Amino acid sequence: MYSKRIHVAWFGIHFFLLTAVCLAGVFWLIAQGSTILPSAWDEYARKGELGATWCLAKEAGPSNPVRRSIATYLHTAGIQAGYTFFAPNVPSQHRLTLELLYEDGRAEYESPHVRGKTAALRLESLLDRLSEERYEPVREVLVKMLAFSVWREHPGVKKVRATFGAVNPPGMNEFEQGKTETFQPMFSFDFSLRDDQK
Amino acid sequence: MQSVVKSPGSQISVGLSPLRKFWQRFIGFLFPLETDTWLAVLRSGLGLQVIGYALFLRSDWHYLFASSGKGLVGREVGEAITAFDSPLIPTFGWLVALGRNLNMSEEAVLTVAWVALLSAGCLLLLGLFCRPAAIVAWFVHLCAAESGGLLAYGADAFMTTALFYLMLSPLPDRYSFDRWVTKAKPKNPQLLGFWRRVLQMHLCFVYFIGGLAKFLGNGWWDGSNLWRSLIRPPFTVVPPDVLVRFKYALPVLGISICLLEVSYPIFIWFKKTRLVWLVCILAMHAAIGLMMGLYLFALVMIVMNLAAFGVPSTDRKARATSATTDQ
Repeated sequence: MYSKRIHVAWFGIHFFLLTAVCLAGVFWLIAQGSTILPSAWDEYARKGELGATWCLAKEAGPSNPVRRSIATYLHTAGIQAGYTFFAPNVPSQHRLTLELLYEDGRAEYESPHVRGKTAALRLESLLDRLSEERYEPVREVLVKMLAFSVWREHPGVKKVRATFGAVNPPGMNEFEQGKTETFQPMFSFDFSLRDDQK
Repeated sequence: MQSVVKSPGSQISVGLSPLRKFWQRFIGFLFPLETDTWLAVLRSGLGLQVIGYALFLRSDWHYLFASSGKGLVGREVGEAITAFDSPLIPTFGWLVALGRNLNMSEEAVLTVAWVALLSAGCLLLLGLFCRPAAIVAWFVHLCAAESGGLLAYGADAFMTTALFYLMLSPLPDRYSFDRWVTKAKPKNPQLLGFWRRVLQMHLCFVYFIGGLAKFLGNGWWDGSNLWRSLIRPPFTVVPPDVLVRFKYALPVLGISICLLEVSYPIFIWFKKTRLVWLVCILAMHAAIGLMMGLYLFALVMIVMNLAAFGVPSTDRKARATSATTDQ
């Protein structure tokens, strides 16, 4: 009976946390105004999201032990993010183009790459994250690292211009009319390699 | 006070307060009698999943998880973001630090981690050292998912969850080598039932939230989201000019997916509708795997669904097992 009580208590806590994570995810989508719901709902969704994140102690300070304990548990159980994949709509694809400028004025175009198809999926995931507002503080560092991964294969390069943007695919009707994808630049960075990094 | 015993896990007592009756019903629901067949499906399926995960990432393993300057983006950024959430979440940084004390290079530590993951997958598939293998698989995969958090996608979260449940479930099952070698007694059927319920409830959450969130997007109503997801590199397995021939079917398919997901927590519980919903969900995941190239995501979802609802509940057999374990 004692063991059963422990199991029931764990079940209650586990699914309470899962509910909070899932609701936070759905409320966030609504609050962003990216759903078909009227904009009057945005404010309520924001409050709902706050309530859900409060349950996860995310409103507490970063070093708060309750917040840390909950975060550790969520990550170890794989339930730190809600299940809103490809929702409410499928996001645009993103592309990072690297213009490699050589000392003699030559320019080559490359993109960060991996060997396997599964790893390519992961790279796509990373590029999609770069466009998100919450990754803005680490965006430049990540683009620099991606540029550096290509730079290592081209040691003669003097400068790299990294251009990041969204690739908007044509709609079904547009595709039938012969239209192709369009590229919408979002930001770009120029990097030059110092002598000590060579 | 009279009491009618329905099954060891679900006593329905006459003359009790409604709250107590509800509680007993709830306990009965949480602890049904189960055999370990579902656990065998979960164990062997996740064994295959872990093997697939390790093999698919074989050529990029070091490149994805090496530190800055050696890999794609360096795992430090991902680890810093994870550490901001909590420094207690395991990452490869832990293992590399441990390896440094043993005079092991980062590359050697990552190789050992990959070998450990692959071995754990093989052991899970065979059912040898089930519990330690499940713990190792969960831990190494978690380290990979957290260190490469920026590179993670849906399949990683589901793998962590499935391995987390497997690690806590009453292993080994009767089809494992462990049981054959140690001749251990069958596990408590109520505990087996509890962990299956957890998996079942989890899937209900997944599909309900997934379906609800999709319903809120206009692109799922007119088929444009299906179009966008299928022509989106690197998911382009079906050429767009083939896909566009089915443009009138896409809105119907899009709405069907939303309906299927959002109603999963209802119809999967009824015996009459369970098979239809299960087959449809499995077909959906198989299609995702084949048409979008998301093989690992498809496999983990198929394994979880089969273990949760695909293996019939064998109450009679479980009762017999319960009688054996009670003696």
